[in-house]
Amino acid sequence: MSLQNDPFLSVSNSIKNRYIDETNKKIVGYYCTYIPEELLHAANLFPYRIRATGNKDTDLADIYMVRFTCSFVRSTLHLALQGGYDFLDGFLVCNSCDHSRRMFELFDMKVFNRENFNKKVPRFYLALPHIISNEGFEWYKKEIEELKIELEKAYSIGQITNANLLESIKLYNENRELLRNIHELRILDKPKLTGSDALQISMANSSVPKEIANKELERILNKLKGSEGIDTNDKRILLVGSVVDNIDFTQLVENSGAIIVSDFLCFGTRNFLDDIELTSGDPLNDITRRLYYRMSCPRMMDDHIRRLEFIKNEIKRAKVDGVLLQRINNCDLFGCDNMLFEHELKDDLEIPVFNIDRENYQADTSRLQTRIEAFLEMIT
Amino acid sequence: MKENRIIPYKMLYEALLSTHELVERILPESGMPSLKIGLEYLISVLNDYLKKASEGLPIVGYHFAFPGEYLNCFDCVPVCLEASGYFLATLLLHGVEKYYDLIGSWGHPYHTCSAQKGSMGMTLDGLFKFDAIITPTAPCDSTCASYPFFEYKEKVPLIIADMPFSFNEKGFSYYAEQLKFSLNKLGKVIGQEPNFDKLKNAIKIENQTLKLKLELFELIKSIPSPIENMFNPVSAATNIIIPGTQQNFDFYNRLLDLAKYRYQNKIHHGGEEKIRSIWPYMITFFDISLCEWLDRELGMSILFDIFNYNFYEPIDVKSDLDTMFVGMAKKGMSWPMVKQSIEFYEPFILECVRMAKEYNADCFIYTQSLACKQFGSVPQILREALKDEVGIPTLIIDFDVGDARMTSLATMKSKISLFVQTLL
Repeated sequence: MSLQNDPFLSVSNSIKNRYIDETNKKIVGYYCTYIPEELLHAANLFPYRIRATGNKDTDLADIYMVRFTCSFVRSTLHLALQGGYDFLDGFLVCNSCDHSRRMFELFDMKVFNRENFNKKVPRFYLALPHIISNEGFEWYKKEIEELKIELEKAYSIGQITNANLLESIKLYNENRELLRNIHELRILDKPKLTGSDALQISMANSSVPKEIANKELERILNKLKGSEGIDTNDKRILLVGSVVDNIDFTQLVENSGAIIVSDFLCFGTRNFLDDIELTSGDPLNDITRRLYYRMSCPRMMDDHIRRLEFIKNEIKRAKVDGVLLQRINNCDLFGCDNMLFEHELKDDLEIPVFNIDRENYQADTSRLQTRIEAFLEMIT
Repeated sequence: MKENRIIPYKMLYEALLSTHELVERILPESGMPSLKIGLEYLISVLNDYLKKASEGLPIVGYHFAFPGEYLNCFDCVPVCLEASGYFLATLLLHGVEKYYDLIGSWGHPYHTCSAQKGSMGMTLDGLFKFDAIITPTAPCDSTCASYPFFEYKEKVPLIIADMPFSFNEKGFSYYAEQLKFSLNKLGKVIGQEPNFDKLKNAIKIENQTLKLKLELFELIKSIPSPIENMFNPVSAATNIIIPGTQQNFDFYNRLLDLAKYRYQNKIHHGGEEKIRSIWPYMITFFDISLCEWLDRELGMSILFDIFNYNFYEPIDVKSDLDTMFVGMAKKGMSWPMVKQSIEFYEPFILECVRMAKEYNADCFIYTQSLACKQFGSVPQILREALKDEVGIPTLIIDFDVGDARMTSLATMKSKISLFVQTLL
């Protein structure tokens, strides 16, 4: 069964969608999944994850960002400078990586202060620790508590209550459960959806209000459950690495004789593995706990082993034939984590591993496709 | 074979010795005094470290953003990973390209920082045998990404002091705790109790050295600048490799005397000062002869590079230990490259504008390193601010601090020469 023409998935093909036009909520843009979406939702805001899907240029951003910076972030800035993100009513950045963190300043100076743009867009910053420790948790909790106060003030919304937070937590836990259930259909011997479908679902999910997303995910889940599954001899691939916000790349892989049955991406499994557990009597504490202790990305300097174990486990669970490690050029974080993964996976599991770099907008497709096809041919 | 655990420091020591001999024998009395004096003290301290290594003291690697004098609370051999690579790149004929290539062939991405690449390659080649490594989580992705190699590949205990990307009192308190915690943890790994009295002594020396630095930089405001360009890389070396030692204090003391003499007599090292430049990032470490060429061929003074314009308050060693650690945290978070990374751009831009005015700079030369993503969004904003606020131009050059193969010295000279023609 193909989800290719599904209206929900098509939301992921563009930056704007009809829910943005129709909403009466303020829209807050963010880059990284380490931000507390539930808190934004409880503040009656519409959290929107910034991406650059479909954008082929970085010209305008290249004025302000050198060529050694990430082409994904440059693409988003280019779009923003063109007015593509003028619909934002707020902007939340954390120090997830050096590239995206600097958008805190550049959006303020060059996007929201450009000529003829008269909307005042509040911006918010969260300083996220780089290691996982009790002290780090306490630090991040304070950051999020301060953010709550800033949001209340910036949008004059009165106090965000525990009841508001609990309602949002319930909605977001449901959302993650739906995504996990869909993921389970992906790792089957006969997967019921492709990696590109899964990516589109995830991107669409981050671009619409969660109330809408949950209904759509439920509909898709039921549709998939009743489907036949994909009967294929294609090689089963686990995709790991930097942000992927465009199915051009996953389709290139899947058109080369592979099916991406699982991933370790922030528009993928890492975003829905863990739920918020209500254990402390303090919903904000519980939100922080999930955010901080969840499956990390390589920006968490001391958590490589846990990431490796997840990947090893997923290789077994999804009966993976080969691992495709990828990074956007200049992404030091995934570049080095992938370097370690490459040796560890080859040595420990003797599984074929392919480690590549790429640009956010996939231009040199023939060269890349040849390399991927060669890798897939090596898998027996 | 205990001394063979830090072969790169031996290589550095030998290279410093031979360079010092050359400088002493070939140059006239007045030639590049900062190099002569700096080499003398670097040799003295490295000799001491090598002796300690041969006695079997633990080898503790540290990141340059972890002020080295903090390791004085242990009987250990402190080895700066970034300095090892960069200063060998400076002194060896072909730099440390061999080690960059070695770690690159192991899979380390080309776009990470050569500051770490050198030591990673040397460790992979068996030249370093660390007992432990300590690092903060700043200033950059390259740090956070590269250091786990030592833990997971080389099985070296890695102690991490989490530095918040928040330059404020809350951040200082948090990092003070992280410093205390990480030093205690390091003590357990190497089987020693931290001796905070020894640490205080080292900090006292650095506090005294800071006074000299401030005095020196007041003199640099004068025209012509009384300090030659070579001071920049040499002082970076002393600040990173031998902090907290009497030798570092003596280095600044002698340089200050020299600067006073030149100031009183209006002497410029290159003969005539034609252009006063500020380099808000780094200079070339793969070939520091650029400094001398700028002085003598172009009459261009480098008033500062990033390793010189970061100042901090003296650390209070008279109050309790907690107060001292907060002071240590403030210093660590004010460290070159660190402050600019954990803060937003605005203070950095304002600082550059202020320096340009106070020091009568004619231009800025912004060297953008391949690896420094945290700086990758600043050059154009800085250029606009300097043009609007001070009316001076900025030259931006892409390069790699330690690897000549990206932008060669000849290219650097050519770009600067053409830029200078637009100034004179």
